Amino acid sequence: MALGLGILVALLYPIPFEKSGQIYYETVGFLVLLNAMLGIGWNIIGGWAGQFDFGPSIFFAIGAYTAALLHIHFGLNAWLALLGAIVVSVVLCALLTYPVTKLRGHYFAIATVAMWMIAQPIGATWSLINGSQGLFIPVAPGGTFLHGLLTMEFAGRGKGLGFYYLSLFLFAVTIVGAAVVERSKWGFYFRALRDDQEGAEGIGIDTRLYKVIARCLMAAIFAMGGVLYGFWALAVFPDQVLEVNWNILPMMAAVVGGLGRLWGPVLGSIVLIPISQVMTATLGAGPLAGRGIDLIIYGAVIMLIAGWRPNGLLSLPWGAWIERMTGRARPAPSARGER
Amino acid sequence: MPPLLQVESCTKRFGGLIANRDVSLTIDSREIVGLIGPNGAGKTTLFNCISGALHPDEGRIVLDGVDISRARPEHACRLGVARTWQVVRSFGRMTVLDNVICGALRRTSRVAAARTRALELLSFTGLAGKEDVAAAALTLADKKRLEITRALATTPRLLLLDEAMSGLTPTETVAAVELVRRIHGDLGLAICVVEHVMEVVMPLSHRVVVLDHGEKLTEGAPSEVARDERVITAYLGERHRGKH
Repeated sequence: MALGLGILVALLYPIPFEKSGQIYYETVGFLVLLNAMLGIGWNIIGGWAGQFDFGPSIFFAIGAYTAALLHIHFGLNAWLALLGAIVVSVVLCALLTYPVTKLRGHYFAIATVAMWMIAQPIGATWSLINGSQGLFIPVAPGGTFLHGLLTMEFAGRGKGLGFYYLSLFLFAVTIVGAAVVERSKWGFYFRALRDDQEGAEGIGIDTRLYKVIARCLMAAIFAMGGVLYGFWALAVFPDQVLEVNWNILPMMAAVVGGLGRLWGPVLGSIVLIPISQVMTATLGAGPLAGRGIDLIIYGAVIMLIAGWRPNGLLSLPWGAWIERMTGRARPAPSARGER
Repeated sequence: MPPLLQVESCTKRFGGLIANRDVSLTIDSREIVGLIGPNGAGKTTLFNCISGALHPDEGRIVLDGVDISRARPEHACRLGVARTWQVVRSFGRMTVLDNVICGALRRTSRVAAARTRALELLSFTGLAGKEDVAAAALTLADKKRLEITRALATTPRLLLLDEAMSGLTPTETVAAVELVRRIHGDLGLAICVVEHVMEVVMPLSHRVVVLDHGEKLTEGAPSEVARDERVITAYLGERHRGKH
């Protein structure tokens, strides 16, 4: 029921804004879905497998750059470039991650930060990707809305709506895929190695292999996000795709929404991204502009949520509230309470 | 018929400390072997070597003709060695059922099949009715029982129980001994039991191996070992020195 309602809202959300020409709100929707998708990806390694990755944006960047190169040099369609980006990102992730899977806890986290730090000078200087000047993605002018969806190329009108639906589609693919993984052998093994690594090895789980698999799943999702972002921004710059927000926001969406829970990052993203956008739009402009007041208040809101609900917003009694609102309130205590 | 497990002159050092020196023992299929000795005798180190958590510096460990001295724990498990830990290592945030499913996934990739097997084993070990409880919320006795169930789910040939009965109340201990007997009787596994409480091991074991200061002191039938002067001295000697 709630899922059906959610799908309906997600599908209809941009229609009124398209009618009234408020493209900005379509872009907010696009950013919410993009971050929700990345949050689901981060949740696989951080929430399920319990390995905190502080540098996932390198796979966002690898995805964006791979697709841009394939599109610019070989004229590859964006969707084919997306597949190529996923393959490159997953292979590189496996090669980079296997050596550091010996590390645990804080040390694994530090290794991921180090990878991200190393990626920055590479991104800024490597001539293949045009260093700090970045790559520009050419877009064919004209074309129908459908053509835009099939190529991720929108010239002018329809872009906001188009990218909203593109992100909705990739988000849907991500959450369905994550739901399948959660119920599979991989999902069980990820949680086992999170709860007790020796215990997991003792029942035959190759924990190094499953850490690599978990991070590669994350890398695939970040690559998709990077491609989407690149075609939206029409350019790939190192300081943009390796920006610290692509490390922090997905993680915060997962933690604020509910770490290790399938819909946690989705809820987190729905709450955090609009707050951030509203803060920037209201306090980031005007007399207080440039003082970072918007960021300070945004940070305070996150701290309040984290302190009030350390298990994430998903741990609130949503079921009971929905029942009360729909008038089907039952005084009986909910048997499916929080652990 | 060769024994299921052969430990041949196993030596394990930690820096200057020799935890196991030249230890040899065998375990036959369908045999219950008790491994006893005072605290610090090297029982858990030997267990860690057999299960792949540690590798012996010298000597060999052979399971059914296959040298597993260098095998990692997950390989040892695949070859049929399953273990429990002195300090419980259940997957605390997962439910009891999901813990056992993880074990059962060793033999099948299908979660549905693993769930069926896990449910069977949970009723065999007496944890039926607690499937949906988070493992961290169980009592110590039930956590140890869960760990045994999870180990059984990997379909081992040799089950290593590291102090599966320590820290339990007398009633719980009786129930745990009963469970080990049923695992041996109904599933026909070889079992190696580490305990430093002699009263538990003696009636349970077919054969007892005594370790002291990392070396094998003696081995034999429980009744002989219990009368052995050296064994008595090892235990009394420890009592005179006081517990460390």
